[in-house]
Amino acid sequence: MTLLSLGLTYFRRRPLLLFSSVAIGLGVAVLFTVLAVMNGFLVELEKSIRSFSGDAVIENRYLPSREPFRFADYQAALAQVDGVQRLEPRLGWYALVGRRGGHAVTDPRSTDLSGMMLFGVDDAFANAEGDGATATGGNGDGAVPIPMRLGRQAAQRLQLEIGDELGLITFVQGGDGRPAPLRATFRLHSLLRTGRFDQEMDTAHVPRAALANLLQRDPPFTQVLVRTTPDADPLQVAEDVETALKKAKLALPGYPRTLTWREKGGTLLKAVENQRGMLSIVFFFIVLVAAYQLVATLTLTVTEKRRDIGVLRALGATPGRIVRFFVALGMVVTVAGIGIGLVLGQWLTSNLRTVEKWISGGERIFRAEVYKFEDIPVSVDPASVTLLIAATLAAALVFSLVPALRAARLRIVDSLRKR
Amino acid sequence: MNDAPPVLKALQLTKSYRVGASRLEVLRGVDVELRPGEVRALMGASGSGKSTLLNLLGLLDKPDSGKLLLNGREVQNLGRAASSRTRASSVGFVFQQFQLLPELSALENVLLPRRLLAGWNWWGRRGNERRAAREALGMVGLGKRLRHRPAQLSGGEQQRVAIARALICQPPILLADEPTGNLDRGSSEEVLELLLRLGREMRSAVLIATHDSDVSARCDSIVTMSDGLVRLAEPA
Repeated sequence: MTLLSLGLTYFRRRPLLLFSSVAIGLGVAVLFTVLAVMNGFLVELEKSIRSFSGDAVIENRYLPSREPFRFADYQAALAQVDGVQRLEPRLGWYALVGRRGGHAVTDPRSTDLSGMMLFGVDDAFANAEGDGATATGGNGDGAVPIPMRLGRQAAQRLQLEIGDELGLITFVQGGDGRPAPLRATFRLHSLLRTGRFDQEMDTAHVPRAALANLLQRDPPFTQVLVRTTPDADPLQVAEDVETALKKAKLALPGYPRTLTWREKGGTLLKAVENQRGMLSIVFFFIVLVAAYQLVATLTLTVTEKRRDIGVLRALGATPGRIVRFFVALGMVVTVAGIGIGLVLGQWLTSNLRTVEKWISGGERIFRAEVYKFEDIPVSVDPASVTLLIAATLAAALVFSLVPALRAARLRIVDSLRKR
Repeated sequence: MNDAPPVLKALQLTKSYRVGASRLEVLRGVDVELRPGEVRALMGASGSGKSTLLNLLGLLDKPDSGKLLLNGREVQNLGRAASSRTRASSVGFVFQQFQLLPELSALENVLLPRRLLAGWNWWGRRGNERRAAREALGMVGLGKRLRHRPAQLSGGEQQRVAIARALICQPPILLADEPTGNLDRGSSEEVLELLLRLGREMRSAVLIATHDSDVSARCDSIVTMSDGLVRLAEPA
């Protein structure tokens, strides 16, 4: 192991080589952190989309001239599809929501008014006053307010507290077929917490039966959420669901009915994935630059250790052995750098808030309004880390070869000559 | 008279160097041979070409023309890798400047040729090699300085480490370039004595380049170099 111990001794005793390791380590740490954050975004987005919209969504579209599809029809059609764990009907409707009273609901220019996606859902409102059993459509003064679970951020913006009343204005189809305004009163029952700023800002849950009643909507759902079993592939399930719907004649010809969570998240997911790709490329250049300085560091080492190389060659080291020795030295430097980078990167990803405070002096840099999540999500993806390590080693290998080949080409008698 | 066939034979070796626009002819057709167990001195003034000849005989450099036979096999045109392997198995070097690797201990320096000769397949023999290196250092009187680095050893001790390193593979040829040139008189005597004794014990063909007549006087034969040629002389 003498050559290896020689390499390790060079590494220990030459600050320049250690400096190279630190430089590589910084590059790796930055890329590790960026990848972990971008992966964190993707993981949290997936979680939020899947919990919010199901693993797949069936849009309940039907021709006005035909009898609408019923939820029971879907249940019957999909009962035998593998991977389907549960179906949930959901009624979606756009509305403006604001504090009740004053001019908030009557003046669309009011800042106390928020555009909101109302979802009529079946859970969590059981036994709540006005949960549908008691609420009546177009509830005016004196009617029982419908309970609403409003996004936490929207509630903050509208300065609402649990129990406060909210006014709602929307449009439904009037008797003459033209849009007719509809006003209703809700009571803030609880806050909707998803961890995603945009969802908490523009989403509210209400009892589905009450909403359907209010809107005079039949059938009382616009979507069917498909929850899959944990081991199922949502893409495959969506395909099977689509096939089953066609078979049961619950699909309109040429119209895609079933969207996977990935299709539902569409643009946002693609944007984050693209951003991850771009940032990976950009930050990998930092690692490349750090690794590139191996050329300079090892070239300097070759120059300084020229006599040692001559001695090794005189004692019988083949040129190939010299190449391997310097490449191995480059690898030692790189592996140490990767080690430093992984430790530093792990620390950075675990302490993003602290780092954010150091950088900004206490101000939030990663604001939820921009980045959607209250806390910057982090998820270390082993495949990405493996790729990062492999790419760094590959770059270091290429960069180490240049000085290594130079060392192997040295003439022995020149190297041994007293300088 | 040594009747053994020569282990190394040089025939009409020439070597020249470019100096500016002209060429400097250093060796102009050198014939020399070395036999097992023979200790020869190579004498000549500074710049006479002693080191150049040693470099050619030790396969550290290539001649312009001529032949170099190692155990009857031509080796002057071997490729770089092949000549490295031949060097590792057949030639030991002792340099005037010791040429020890400063980062390695005495033991590690002595181990180097064995490790280089063994290539990548030395795992099974690791213990044997360390034992051989310890014995080699014991033979040169440094059995208790195994872990010392060159900087912690005197000049004479460093040269003794270099001798142990040169002999650990028991090479048939040992080339020494001014081995006592950097040593005081006492150390010179010890190192020379060691070199001669161990070379003879191992039946190595030893060629010592020197301009010290005290050194050459202890050798079996002397060849002198002048004008790029060698001629045989008897020891004084």
